[in-house]
Amino acid sequence: MSDGKEICIALAGNPNCGKTSLFNALTGAHQKVGNFSGVTVEKHEGYLDYKGYRIRVVDLPGIYSLTPYSPEEIVTREYLIKETPDVVVNVLEGPNLERNLLLTTQLMELEVDFLVALNMIDEVEEKGIVVEIKQLQKLLGCHIIPTSAKKSRGLDSLLDHIIRVSRKDIEISKNKLFFRPEVEASVDKIAAMLTHQKELGGYNARWLAIKLLENDREVYHEVQCYPVWVKIELVLQEALREAERMYDSEPEMLITEDRHAFIRGAMQECVRQPGGVKTSASDYIDMVVLNRVLGLPIFLLVVWAIFQMTFTLGSPLMSALEFLFGALATAIAPLLPNETLRSVVIDGIIAGVGGVLVFLPNIVLLFIGLSFLEASGYMARAAFVIDRVMHRFGLHGKSFIPMITGFGCSIPAIMATRTLKSRTDRLVTIMIIPFMSCGAKLPVYVLLTGAFFAPDVAANVMFGIYLLGIVIGLWTAWILKSTVLKSDSEPFVMELPPYRWPTFTSVFFQAKVKSLMYLKKAGTLILSAVIIIWAVSNYPHNVALEKELSAESAQIARSGVAAAEKMKLQNRLELRIKSEQLEYSLAGRAGKVLEPLIRPLGFDWRIGIALVTGLTAKEVVVSTLGTIYSIGQSNGAPVELKSILRQDPSFSQATALSLMVFVLLYIPCVAALGVMKKEVGRWRPVLLYSLYSLSVAWIVSFIVYRVALLMV
Amino acid sequence: MRLSELNVGEKAEVTALKAVGAIRRRIMDMGLIKGTQFKVVRVAPLGDPIEISFKGLYLAMRKNEAEGIVVCKVDAFNGEEFSQADQQPIE
Ligand SMILES: Nc1nc2c(ncn2[C@@H]2O[C@H](COP(=O)(O)OP(=O)(O)OP(=O)(O)O)[C@@H](O)[C@H]2O)c(=O)[nH]1
Ligand SMILES: [Mg+2]
Repeated sequence: MSDGKEICIALAGNPNCGKTSLFNALTGAHQKVGNFSGVTVEKHEGYLDYKGYRIRVVDLPGIYSLTPYSPEEIVTREYLIKETPDVVVNVLEGPNLERNLLLTTQLMELEVDFLVALNMIDEVEEKGIVVEIKQLQKLLGCHIIPTSAKKSRGLDSLLDHIIRVSRKDIEISKNKLFFRPEVEASVDKIAAMLTHQKELGGYNARWLAIKLLENDREVYHEVQCYPVWVKIELVLQEALREAERMYDSEPEMLITEDRHAFIRGAMQECVRQPGGVKTSASDYIDMVVLNRVLGLPIFLLVVWAIFQMTFTLGSPLMSALEFLFGALATAIAPLLPNETLRSVVIDGIIAGVGGVLVFLPNIVLLFIGLSFLEASGYMARAAFVIDRVMHRFGLHGKSFIPMITGFGCSIPAIMATRTLKSRTDRLVTIMIIPFMSCGAKLPVYVLLTGAFFAPDVAANVMFGIYLLGIVIGLWTAWILKSTVLKSDSEPFVMELPPYRWPTFTSVFFQAKVKSLMYLKKAGTLILSAVIIIWAVSNYPHNVALEKELSAESAQIARSGVAAAEKMKLQNRLELRIKSEQLEYSLAGRAGKVLEPLIRPLGFDWRIGIALVTGLTAKEVVVSTLGTIYSIGQSNGAPVELKSILRQDPSFSQATALSLMVFVLLYIPCVAALGVMKKEVGRWRPVLLYSLYSLSVAWIVSFIVYRVALLMV
Repeated sequence: MRLSELNVGEKAEVTALKAVGAIRRRIMDMGLIKGTQFKVVRVAPLGDPIEISFKGLYLAMRKNEAEGIVVCKVDAFNGEEFSQADQQPIE
């Protein structure tokens, strides 16, 4: 379609202004959108073809200004300055224009080719705000296109203008923002010194000069290695003295004030707000949700409601799926004449993979609940309400957002910590995220609470497990912060966006993406794990046991007892032989080696094997139990894992509790460990951490098991 | 006085920034500079972060951070009941 004309555009704007929404609307992608600052922490690219052009769209993390603050913001600045996209699309949050224009003034200084997407124009109109676009265009020296990423408005016009800007086919001349004369004098002096430096030719001299006056560390480093630095330094010192003397301030502050003054002027000239102070819907909601008395209970209620929903809405769907897989196994079994093949399919694939797939409804519901939290705007409120508590443990209210994400999956949560500025706070938050019980652990809880607790207490037991995770996590944070990772706590300044209705499509696609991921995991990783587990728990065959089986079967057949009695004897015999064979297998032998270590927690060797294989992915714990118990069945008929566990003498309520706690706390799955390594940079802390979590899991499970034994 | 000393419902104007380092920058970028008028909306249930609103946006910050902002109380915002000329003098 495109004839080789490629345009690269970058979406830059304040956090939460709708860049990713616009990116999705333009490219048809389904990147994550949420109503709080710092949803996007990495750059994403997408393509679209428009009028013979191939347009590469780059979505960037949000920034408030070109002087970055946290790691994810550095990505954006680096991209804008070093990669120089053809056109920068400055996305503005329409209802919040004044603050958003600060970045625009900085793009003006950078002298890149840019245009403005005045986003959320639907909300602007709803509020009765009128923007004189023509006039504002002149002041900003760029095109302004009203858009609504949510309602897909203004997209074609935006694209048309992007093409025109990239072809330099524009009739709006760039405007310059002038600072007060004292600042301008210093800027000019430094710029003049820099224009003679060929090596720095990549950047415009005026911008470098402004950044130097703003104490921009990166630019300092850049310029410092040139001889001209000696002269520049003198000018900078002079400017500092001057600002101090005349304004009792410093150049950085004066520059920012002048930018704001410019914006103020532009706002007065071009934007008409409806008079009077109106209380918005968000204000009313916050009066309740952030109320001094109700705030905390509401917060707990919200989290509790999500888990309750996951459980109660999910369980009938789960039962239906269980029934389906049971029926499938019964239907398939007679069609498979070969006994080995039958065992692979029934004991391995259906018991193992099917055993995990039945939890799909719970997982999807959990993610729907979480995406509702993220999309509504409550996330920032939760951080606000809980910050005090987090602070006590040396953490940051903002750390709380990745923690909540961690209830879904640790991997995006660990990446989301990039919004934290301080490195130690990031490290600590990364280390506690795995204690936030992720979606993959959910099947273990649902299985065990379903098997050993009455339906009405099951959800609360599960909620208790989640709370335990939070408590252990905070405790870990506190220990880390007061020993190895001592540091001042990171400042907390955070915007509270207005509440917004989650869009159906974004919630739907989040749920769809998560379900597909889950299915894919079941079809690849879990399937292969299950087949390996099946093999190691079947082989090697104990020939002696087989002989014993046939000899004793013959004996039973020859004996003179009644047919019913014969059957019973035969069954008992087969069960005994099977379990002896299982113990003889590779898995059995490995498990027996492990058993002494986990016996104090109430686990037998089968659970030991499940816990080891669970390191690949936590759902595999359930698959492994499914396969091992299914193989150990006497007649090979498919039986629900839940009822097998219930009948197993080595399993009790206390074991179930202990196992849930252990799965909650022990070493994160390999994928999470990998991401941890990537974010932390080194293996050592990650390995130490694994050791730590394993010990904590052992100790807490031990306590829980012993206490439960006493109480039950 | 400092922003942290204000009570809920009070209106004030920023007169200077005492915060240093990165947080100073962030406060400036948020638009809290000399002359910005704001209102203290509420205090979090457990007493720490406070929420202020200005220029149509809502900002939460810890008292610790609020201490770095020097303010003076105003009775009403510019253009609300008083005219531009009636600005309160800087303390
Ligand atoms: N009403 C309305 N809401 C919008 C529009 N565009 C985005 N939103 C909402 O604004 C919020 C933020 O959207 P995102 O696309 O995640 O914002 P972002 O700029 O990518 O945010 P960060 O990645 O955190 O920097 C979401 O709740 C969106 O649903 C719009 O045009 N109109
Ligand atoms: Mg985004």
